Amino acid sequence: MRVTLNVWRQADAEAEGAFERYEDVEIDENASFLEMLDVLNDRLLTDGKKPIAFDHDCREGICGSCSLLIDDMPHGPRQVTSCQIYMRDFEDGQEITVEPFRATAFPVMRDLMVDRSPLDRIVESGGYVSVNAGPKPEPNSIPVHPEIQEAAMDAAICIGCGACVAACPNGSAMLYTGAKVTHLNLLPQGEPERFHRTRSMVRQHDDEGFGACTNTGECQQVCPQNISIKVIGELNREYRGAMIHKLRGRSGPLEAQ
Amino acid sequence: MPRHDVLVIGAGLAGQRAALAAAQTGVSVGIISKVHPVRSHSNAAQGGINAALNPDDSWESHAFDTIKGSDYLGDQDAIEIMCREAPEEIIHLEHLGVPFHRDDAGRLGTRAFGGASAARTYYVADITGQAIMHVLYEQLMKHSDSVDRYEEYFTTSLAIDDAGECVGAVTRNVRDGSMELFEAKNVILATGGNGQIWRPTTNALICTGDGIAMAYRVGAPLMDMEMIQYHPTTLAGKGFLITEGARGEGAHLLNAKGERFMERYAPNKMELASRDVVSRAEQTEINEGRGFEDGTVALDVTVVPKKRVHEALREIVLVGRDFAGVDITQEPIHIKPGNHYTMGGVKTDIHGATNVPGLYAAGEAACVSVHGGNRLGANSLLDTLIFGRRAGEHAANRAKRNDFGRVSRSILADEEAQIADLIGRERGAGRRISEIKLELGQTMDKHVAVFREKESIETALEVVKRLSEEAKSAYIDDKGTIFNQDVLGAIELGFMLDGAECTCLGALHREESRGAQFRTDFPERNDDEWLKHIDLTMNGDGPEISYSDVTITDWQPQERTY
Repeated sequence: MRVTLNVWRQADAEAEGAFERYEDVEIDENASFLEMLDVLNDRLLTDGKKPIAFDHDCREGICGSCSLLIDDMPHGPRQVTSCQIYMRDFEDGQEITVEPFRATAFPVMRDLMVDRSPLDRIVESGGYVSVNAGPKPEPNSIPVHPEIQEAAMDAAICIGCGACVAACPNGSAMLYTGAKVTHLNLLPQGEPERFHRTRSMVRQHDDEGFGACTNTGECQQVCPQNISIKVIGELNREYRGAMIHKLRGRSGPLEAQ
Repeated sequence: MPRHDVLVIGAGLAGQRAALAAAQTGVSVGIISKVHPVRSHSNAAQGGINAALNPDDSWESHAFDTIKGSDYLGDQDAIEIMCREAPEEIIHLEHLGVPFHRDDAGRLGTRAFGGASAARTYYVADITGQAIMHVLYEQLMKHSDSVDRYEEYFTTSLAIDDAGECVGAVTRNVRDGSMELFEAKNVILATGGNGQIWRPTTNALICTGDGIAMAYRVGAPLMDMEMIQYHPTTLAGKGFLITEGARGEGAHLLNAKGERFMERYAPNKMELASRDVVSRAEQTEINEGRGFEDGTVALDVTVVPKKRVHEALREIVLVGRDFAGVDITQEPIHIKPGNHYTMGGVKTDIHGATNVPGLYAAGEAACVSVHGGNRLGANSLLDTLIFGRRAGEHAANRAKRNDFGRVSRSILADEEAQIADLIGRERGAGRRISEIKLELGQTMDKHVAVFREKESIETALEVVKRLSEEAKSAYIDDKGTIFNQDVLGAIELGFMLDGAECTCLGALHREESRGAQFRTDFPERNDDEWLKHIDLTMNGDGPEISYSDVTITDWQPQERTY
């Protein structure tokens, strides 16, 4: 099959980017989308042009590196990672637009690569367990109901790709933050720090320039790990609890968080 | 110039665990990774992590299974340490927030894995590696005040001082192409395996064995490099992994006639014999014409209850759907043995120390050796964590006793000159890097795979030597500085070729069949002559072969049947 591509090209973070058009890219329909970009890069190299830079590594949907906006959809049409998109998902002769993930908090670094370190800083602000209890207590002394464990795992499954942010009209990372908070706050080991964790992570989320959630639901529609928007509900509930906890703990006025 | 008591290179599980262990002793730690840490390949570990935590189980039983699995080539002192310390490590991870599977009573649940005499694999569905890695990364973030992270820094070589000690490393910042010299009292290599030498492989593109080759180039011996694991269940073509957990949950292996052929090769353990045994059985079926036309046999997951598949094997349901177009709950999926794991690596002691003072190695890059001739499933995550921690602690203690060495800046200039030379090569003067990589991968997969023999290994070795020459004039097209993946690819190719040569030499030299090394011209295990490690040391331009003893404590070699 043949496709025509409009690909975002940008030399570096400061440069002004623009679409470049590549016509008649010939490719097997069973090739993956990234393999198609490999083929196009090969052609560019043969023509003495700079290859298109894009993030990729495992190419089996686990590492969370790939981050393409394909025809305005983060990771393309099928709610998987970009590397799991196949050319058979498109029509012969189709024109396809490829951009980096778009969000205020994710600056483009080159071509299709963005800086997703703001997500890390949300975790850095409190998304961890800091109690270091050594080998005790033995884990079976605090049973965890399998439903709770599974709910924690369903949140821990986040690969940090950032598609939720790119899909959100507000550029919000609430699905990501909600997943991180839900994973730890549901488990007994995350309990002692839950309020502090929730407050810090939400504050960092806002400071990084991510927008607020307005229940659009685009995030869960593109999440390759199928993380449900319920984690945002969980986050809001935890946040409310954390703020009330803070209010009760002091007599003065509520600080803006 | 960045300066650290302990500099960790690689930020998968071994690297992160080492950095955390070192940081907890109060020394200054730097951790370098050529990718963002959570993209590291430890992510891809699906099935789980072994530990004799259950009161009915014992570390001795875990140790024996590991030793038998290694075909008695594993060092028993190291294996004892790993198996004894495993339960505590699992509890530690659980405390940090890894959501290990719980049974209906809320207790930690386990699954059966190949070559194990008890169900002792703890798991998080089939995303165990990912779940542990993200939690460790959270911990690394927590220690941001004492651990400096250098993400997307590519290490090109190790710095050695006049006294022969490792005193730092040279890196290239992938984001802007700048070169930097790091000064360190100790360097820990946690750079993973080199599966990219084979094509196809289950390994990610970053698994090019950088640390193995860098250590080799500064004179650290490599050990048991011929021991390369072929995983029994990978998708044909692209080499995607189907977790051993599938067989742990009861899936069958069938040949094209529908026979459950493992009956003939491992009547007791069947599909859950150790990986080398199952891979050889499959390859025999395929070679003798009982496989499918596409050179595969079938994995039948339909015999596993659907609820269990969706609860415990969800990732591979997606792999089947997205990459093979098969619903594994409805029909068998075609699989074959595929390159998976490097048992060999940089020779270390039980503290992760190599023969070069100040240089440590841990995880897949290292060869302690706990895996010997064949690694058991779910022992690799354990290896990364136990020996990552031990290397981190030992290096930190050494740092407290030692001063910084003298780092010569000339090494930085040398590396800069080499990269300038690489970038300056004229287009069309030689072959393209990607072509050489492809030829290397296909050659190794053809000649140094499940079955090997003298002529085929020699053929591979010749090709590797020719490709090494060709790599010297290979050109790259991208001359830029920002995210220049071409330059990195060319340097990685050099690392891969060194690793490939060592694997060929080891395979050629070991004239017996043990673990993953099966020589059709020497089909028997020969304990009299070959119950020993093969060490390869760079001497001048070429490798020098020597031997070291296998440490045997309580378990004498026996015949190995499953």
